[in-house]
Amino acid sequence: MALQPSGVFFENYSHDKALIKTKYQWLSLAIFGIFLLLVPFLFGPRIIAVANIMIIMAVVAVGLQITTGYAGQINLGQAAFMGVGAYTAGLVATQFSLPFWISIPLGGVAAAAFGYIFGLSAVRIKGFYLALTTIAAQFIFHFAILNLPTSWFGGSNGLTLEPASLFGFEFKTDSSFYYLALIICTVMVIGAFGIVRSRYGRAFVAVRDDDVASSMMGINVVATKASAFLVGAFFAGIGGGLWAYYVRFVSVDQFTLFNSVWFVAMIIVGGSGSIVGALIGVFLIRLINELVTSIGPVVSEAFPFIGGDIVFAAMNIILGGVICLFVIYEPKGLMYRWNIMKTSYRIWPFPH
Amino acid sequence: MKEKMNIRRLVISAMAGVALAAGSTAAKAEKTITLAAFADYTGPYADIMPLLQGSRDKAVEWWNDTVGKEMGVSLKLKIYDTRYDTAQTASLWPGIKSELNPPAIFGLGGPDVAALQQRLPDDKVPSLMGTAAYGFAWKENPWILNPRATYAHEASAFLQWYAKQKGGAVKVGLVGSEASPAYVDMIKGVEAFAEKSSDIEVAGVLLTTVQPADLTSQVRRLVKKGAEVMVIQTNTSMVVAVKRALQALGRSDIPVMTSSHNGLPASGRALGDVKQMEGDFEAYGMAIPSPESVDAYNFYTMLKDKYGLNVPWNVLSVQGIAQTLFTVKALEKTIKRVGADNVTGEEVRKTLMTEKITSEEMNGFYSSLSFNEGGPFPTEGMSINIGTIKDGKYAVAATGIPVPAIEKW
Repeated sequence: MALQPSGVFFENYSHDKALIKTKYQWLSLAIFGIFLLLVPFLFGPRIIAVANIMIIMAVVAVGLQITTGYAGQINLGQAAFMGVGAYTAGLVATQFSLPFWISIPLGGVAAAAFGYIFGLSAVRIKGFYLALTTIAAQFIFHFAILNLPTSWFGGSNGLTLEPASLFGFEFKTDSSFYYLALIICTVMVIGAFGIVRSRYGRAFVAVRDDDVASSMMGINVVATKASAFLVGAFFAGIGGGLWAYYVRFVSVDQFTLFNSVWFVAMIIVGGSGSIVGALIGVFLIRLINELVTSIGPVVSEAFPFIGGDIVFAAMNIILGGVICLFVIYEPKGLMYRWNIMKTSYRIWPFPH
Repeated sequence: MKEKMNIRRLVISAMAGVALAAGSTAAKAEKTITLAAFADYTGPYADIMPLLQGSRDKAVEWWNDTVGKEMGVSLKLKIYDTRYDTAQTASLWPGIKSELNPPAIFGLGGPDVAALQQRLPDDKVPSLMGTAAYGFAWKENPWILNPRATYAHEASAFLQWYAKQKGGAVKVGLVGSEASPAYVDMIKGVEAFAEKSSDIEVAGVLLTTVQPADLTSQVRRLVKKGAEVMVIQTNTSMVVAVKRALQALGRSDIPVMTSSHNGLPASGRALGDVKQMEGDFEAYGMAIPSPESVDAYNFYTMLKDKYGLNVPWNVLSVQGIAQTLFTVKALEKTIKRVGADNVTGEEVRKTLMTEKITSEEMNGFYSSLSFNEGGPFPTEGMSINIGTIKDGKYAVAATGIPVPAIEKW
């Protein structure tokens, strides 16, 4: 009954536009929130570690959803923006001994500034050409880090961080880091909902749907496109900061074009133009990824005659196959199917 | 006569009984130690992983069958596919730690070093690698341990040897790429060594793409600057491109030095004929996969004949067997010191930090190893071996060439 039932009508605008409309939805959200808080108590270290990676990626994917899903600006440089955030957070943490609650936001700001540059190029080009330009972000990031003085970002040596700490408590274990990451992710997701439901979010959607028409309506297309990159990159930078504190070693080869493509795959599978879709995409892609990685050793151990090489290769084929099936049968993402189900339920018994 | 027969029967029965009892006690006492082995069956090294893991498996089988049997210990490898990816390793490790709590990890490469170097000191599990080390992982109190010095150390050892052969200072051309921090690290390390060495001078550095098509003009520039030897530790494609360029420039007298992963047989195959690598060198801190590396080759042959090792005698089988011998020797010494029931990651690391593993104990696959808290590889007493193509045949050019001391770069 978490869905809005048929026959529920709203009497004012704010109620109609509310994100959570019924008490059952509030209840569902509360149960989900409690579940998230209990994850370290309910599951083992492996699941907590997987959850940590999911949470970090969720922040980055939500940012990409704003840039690409809402504002329609193709971005294949999200991993580079994440890298800028990770390096900046790492730099200010190691060089200036700033605490995580300053260094992570600074990582976001640096990534946003870097992303803004590419947002400006989105003003003049779109589609395939914009995609190519954002790929350039990957290479600029990579070569800049390796060629800038080693004393700045560590060059090929990378950056090594101490664990995040607050009032002497170190977020060193997977469980403690989980809570830190969960809090930051929750703030970012709430922020993302706020952005996409604000006048800026509506401007993003208008520009995505038709930039000429939105310009005629008085929307500043230049500022909107640039700010879409700025916001998306800020999220990536925050995710990068979290990554830096999680792995505690930052190196350029952790933020490759391949990672950017995975982020795009996550929002495609989850559903373009939906914050929840981005979260579902991250969850699903990582889940499949982790499942095939976990099943491999079990199968290999149970059937040693098959050989580890065949088992693990088969797992990879399964992973690729599942993603292909999603794209073939649900190209608009899982949120699209979920929305159809919700609408069908609401207008039942009439056909959708 | 009958009495004698009875006594004999009694003695035989008693002996059989004792033997059975001893056997059953031994069987009961056999302790299984499970190690985590990182592999890459679905990432960039998927094509070579079966050869590497196959060699690891057979070397473990040998140990179980011989040393392990005597000690009442059986080693088991549990393979984890890291995809050669930092995020995957970071998410896998906590589960491995809680499920197995292995006393050691069979490490794989850069991504697992990146993912775990900060965690392992807390988790108290050492990762024992099979590759050379990197400058970026050269930190004190290491828990990731390499049986080989850095690639830069190995190249520097070769250059020192080459200068001695030539009877004077050598100008070197360094060929690499900025595609990976590891490649940059190799170049920076050799530059750091050359700066302090009177024998070595860097004529120039050529940075190119990972798969270069033609490097003739770039190599010409290096040759004009006086490069007398080219050091290429990145990949086979670069070796091929530089060799083609040198051939085009008519400078086949300038030799190329490669590492293990882009060695002479592989690069020669890529060129079409290993004879084209005549006079070139490969240099690294492992046995050269030539029958001339007698001890190592005999051990390999024994694994092949007795344990069905189905991997050719090449750098991958050398690397897989060498890593396993290094690991099992560390475990063996730990078991002897603290007993099989008390083997922990901390104890294995303590063994490595306090005891020497000799080259003989590892059948000549590595030079003798004496680790210390100063870095992830033994900073003293390491050596490299040099392979070459002589008269069209793969041969050992030199063995036991000492690795020079280099300051951190």
